[in-house]
Amino acid sequence: MDKNKKIISKRAAGIRGWIQAAATLLTNIHIPNLFKGKIYQGSAKTVCVPGLNCYSCPAASGACPIGAFQAVVGSSRFKFSYYITGFFILLGVTLGRFICGFLCPFGWFQDLIHKIPGKKFSTARLKPLRYLKYLILIVFVILLPMFVTNSIGMGDPFFCKYICPQGVLEGAIPLSLGNVAIRSALGKLFSFKCLILITVVVLSILFYRPFCKWICPLGAIYSLFNKVSFLKIKVENSKCVGCGQCSNACKMDVDVLKTPDHPECIRCGACIKACPKDAIHYQFMGMPCEKRASVDNNIQKSNH
Amino acid sequence: MKTKRTVISIFTLCTALLFTACSGKGTSNTEASRDTQTEAGTEVSGSSNTTLDDLYQQENQLFADHEDAWNKAFGMMNKSTADPSGNYADYLAATVESNKDSFTDDELKTLTDDIETIRKIEEQIAAIEKDNTASDNASQKDNSDDTSPFRNFSGQDYDGNSVDESLFSGNAVTVVNFWFTGCKPCVAELSKLNELNDTIKSMGGEVIGINTETFDGNEDAIKEAAAILESQGVAYRNLSIDSASDAGKYASDIMAFPTTILVDRNGNIVGDPMLGGIDNQDNYDTLMKQIQSVIDADGANK
Repeated sequence: MDKNKKIISKRAAGIRGWIQAAATLLTNIHIPNLFKGKIYQGSAKTVCVPGLNCYSCPAASGACPIGAFQAVVGSSRFKFSYYITGFFILLGVTLGRFICGFLCPFGWFQDLIHKIPGKKFSTARLKPLRYLKYLILIVFVILLPMFVTNSIGMGDPFFCKYICPQGVLEGAIPLSLGNVAIRSALGKLFSFKCLILITVVVLSILFYRPFCKWICPLGAIYSLFNKVSFLKIKVENSKCVGCGQCSNACKMDVDVLKTPDHPECIRCGACIKACPKDAIHYQFMGMPCEKRASVDNNIQKSNH
Repeated sequence: MKTKRTVISIFTLCTALLFTACSGKGTSNTEASRDTQTEAGTEVSGSSNTTLDDLYQQENQLFADHEDAWNKAFGMMNKSTADPSGNYADYLAATVESNKDSFTDDELKTLTDDIETIRKIEEQIAAIEKDNTASDNASQKDNSDDTSPFRNFSGQDYDGNSVDESLFSGNAVTVVNFWFTGCKPCVAELSKLNELNDTIKSMGGEVIGINTETFDGNEDAIKEAAAILESQGVAYRNLSIDSASDAGKYASDIMAFPTTILVDRNGNIVGDPMLGGIDNQDNYDTLMKQIQSVIDADGANK
């Protein structure tokens, strides 16, 4: 069982790209809409998808949690988005930033862009920028939509409107390609956000996942749950020889041995793959591995 | 490892190219087709215009060739007897006939000869102009055959009064504004739309609001919408329509709000829908210009 678990962990990390592709496809299942320039508006749109996936993507099967949060907070009908907050807590406690690594379409997009060959730079010296995403979460997602309102209490979705590059990539660009009226309405804001998207793309070639590290408010929310989430990464001290390969392999600049449940860990499994002693693996529901292994051994013994 | 990396990079590049290729093709296709459409249009009208120009040129040439005689004739013309819709050759002949005595025989002969030539040219001009107006009418007809969603219209205002397509026939232009309650930019332009309604009332226009949340007589949504309308001081009519109706389907296909369209007396949509609020001065000016042109066209058709 112990060995199986590690094999499962390694396999999961190995096929991560395919899982990301499948998740992206599932969250954007209405492909024909891309060519019609129409947004799917069925009842599934009342449910959020786990990753950052624009509601206005013609193919989107659900709503973006960040977009939905702002829409409700900024609405005159509600003061706070309890439903979306509950959704964040549920997903945060079960999976944490595993969502960033495996399920988020924009994370996958950055992963793919990063595969473009060229000089790659480390973000280890840019660690203070990580806190920017919490600032964006508090200011652009919560405070501004909540308090900058018109006379009847309606706010703008500030993050979606002024920052989110995923909105341009999935929403504005395909919609304007398929819909003449929308194309004619594109203005300065669209140009500005295109510039943000281009910046993110260029930075993604040079750095690994710059948007996730520095900007993404959804990643910021999930990161708060990394330490308590059911899904974790476990380093077995008995097997670890302290070679440091895991921290070397980590592209999110996490010291895996010291803090395997660091808020920045997106559970991508690079450390699991890199470990020469197979001492690192995923675990779910916080059961310490040695115990489970011994329990399993007991069961095996009784079976004999 | 190295081969893997190359494979991956090639794959990524291919995917990227695939996407750009697809989207690029999409746009170029539509743009190309639009280009050819407009080009074809100008070509047709262009060719008839050049023949028209040619014919007018021939007439002018006649006047220039026998300048002395014609100048004399033009000097005798009386503005009040000029009839723009009448036959030009007849008119010229009448002028010459009534002033026969002032011309020499030679002059009279040139003038009558010229008038006969002009008569033939005028016939050609008339034929071409008839063709042009016919094709104009045909294209207008095509538009109206384009089953406008407002041809058979039915709805209710928020007080429960039923309205039908006579809503449109009573005005030269009806400005239909699509909005929904949670849409901040939509709400932001409501007071401006009310001003617009007051402005165009005397010109034969009316603003109508359609809130997409109030479909099928949804009472809660109507109450909410009415409260917002009141808070923004809106006095123009807002209607609840059936989501299964043509107008309802048209509204459900709108992907960006607010969207404002113009509907003429016959229930036809005129021009392209306008996206964005008219609290933006540029949008207001554009819309106002369109409204004016619809009203002008309506006056011309009468």
